[in-house]
Amino acid sequence: MQVYLPIAELSVNLFFLVGIGGAVGFLSGLFGVGGGFLLTPLLIFSGVPSSVAVASVTGQVVAASTSGALAHYRRGAIDLHLALYLVLSGVLGAVGGVAAFSLLRNAGQLDLVISLGFLILLGSVGIMMLIESTRAILRQRQGVVVRERLPNQHNWIHGLPMRVRFKKSRLYISVLPVLVIGLFIGFVGSLLGIGGGFIMVPALVYLLRVPGNVVIGTSLAQVVAMMGATTILHAVQSQSVDILLAFCLMVGGTIGAQFGASAGKYLRGEQLRGLLALLVLAVAIRFGLSLVLTPADPFSMAVMGPGGLR
Amino acid sequence: MRRVLAAVLAALLLLVTPAAAQRLITQMSSDTIEITSSFDGERLTFFGQIAPEAGAGLDTVQGPYQVVITVIGPTQTRVAREKSRVFGVWINTDQVEFHNFPSYFHVLSSARLRDITDVTTLTTNHILPESYTVTPTSAGWWHTAVFGRQLVRLMTEEGLFGVQENGVQFLSNNFYSARLTLPSDAPPGPYLALTYVFKNGELVARRSEGFAVRKIGFERFLALSAVQYPLAYGVVCVLLALATGWLGGVVFRR
Repeated sequence: MQVYLPIAELSVNLFFLVGIGGAVGFLSGLFGVGGGFLLTPLLIFSGVPSSVAVASVTGQVVAASTSGALAHYRRGAIDLHLALYLVLSGVLGAVGGVAAFSLLRNAGQLDLVISLGFLILLGSVGIMMLIESTRAILRQRQGVVVRERLPNQHNWIHGLPMRVRFKKSRLYISVLPVLVIGLFIGFVGSLLGIGGGFIMVPALVYLLRVPGNVVIGTSLAQVVAMMGATTILHAVQSQSVDILLAFCLMVGGTIGAQFGASAGKYLRGEQLRGLLALLVLAVAIRFGLSLVLTPADPFSMAVMGPGGLR
Repeated sequence: MRRVLAAVLAALLLLVTPAAAQRLITQMSSDTIEITSSFDGERLTFFGQIAPEAGAGLDTVQGPYQVVITVIGPTQTRVAREKSRVFGVWINTDQVEFHNFPSYFHVLSSARLRDITDVTTLTTNHILPESYTVTPTSAGWWHTAVFGRQLVRLMTEEGLFGVQENGVQFLSNNFYSARLTLPSDAPPGPYLALTYVFKNGELVARRSEGFAVRKIGFERFLALSAVQYPLAYGVVCVLLALATGWLGGVVFRR
């Protein structure tokens, strides 16, 4: 059954859209990530213009993170104070990201920056995760008792000026690193159409030493608020949010995530992280190859102006 | 658009020229093509009859005639880009912008174009796709020619440009029909169908007809709101996302 996407201006099979939404949703439920970093590339590779893909996936990420954020909120596992700082700086970063998005699109370098961004981000995160999870698996095999890293150890980042007390996270740290993390994720997330959960969680854990029980909830709450604001920014600035495309992905993603979450119970944490690392690396390599390999066609074309002529 | 207008004006001028002994009566299957949620392309049919000019005192017209139909979509600014290797990475390094470039252009003819008339007539009447790239740009004529040819090739690969030299069938000496399938990604907007009649390489009659490809119903509403009320559109998107996520959580008790 074909469905006509009014903003992307093309017909796509409805089951294909819901299908990839579901498949990515399954993986995101399995690994506990938003899935934007898989969905945006998949849409671009299947012919959706990259500007529409990035802007619409932003809406899908909101839906994918909402149910998780609500569940964590009911359990009281969100540090709202910390999330507020992250959201405010994140929205600021998103304003910059959306502006850069429009500039790059007109200059013809958007695809390049998206490919480079995915390559660098996913490549480095994937390698770090792979090393960490292999070590964990090896240690387990050798029968060494794995000790959790103590979260309340301080480093130099905490000593910067402008200290603020975050009660729920039991932290008394400088607000500067928090704002920098928010700005960075807002900028990158709106430029690449990803929620940034896979950068946010390690940053909160390893840089700020936020305790494990509030990390996921705070990160999810931040993703919902920041990506919501980014969707509105994209709708106003580039007018390339396709609500029908986003809705099809949301429906598939929400259902897929439930099955993924229940499938995730049968796998161990470090095995999950290892698999996720391989997946992230595969996407990074795909982007890297597209940059380095001689393209089949050195020429390409694009329509100038917002969305072309309607 | 200016070029299309000029073509229309030229066509009108030609129509009033008394030298032509024949006129063209045309009809097409629909003058609005509506894009609905299940739109996956539409087939258009063009009919026409070559009749003697009123007052010319002829009962029939003498063939053989050749017919060429061009269908032109709304114009856009399109840019062609070339990648080259910079420090081992392929980057868009060069680009040429073409203003007033048709978003859709198909040529249907009853014979090979090179057998119908000469290349000058084809180019000045904008019958060849390449004639749209013969335009001054800021990049200089050489660049414009190179990138213009590549742009036409890319548009042809996308199915937005095309030449079908057997697209027009004559059902009798002076009655023809032609079929064209508009693709599902046909850009919405005003279209122009120009019909040219040739006899022994001379252009003897022409006629233009307009039709529109437009979104209707819900699709039109969505596309219009995205442009006219972008803020409200964005807010609705976010509310929809929040509602879907919440509903998913409730239904599956996550």
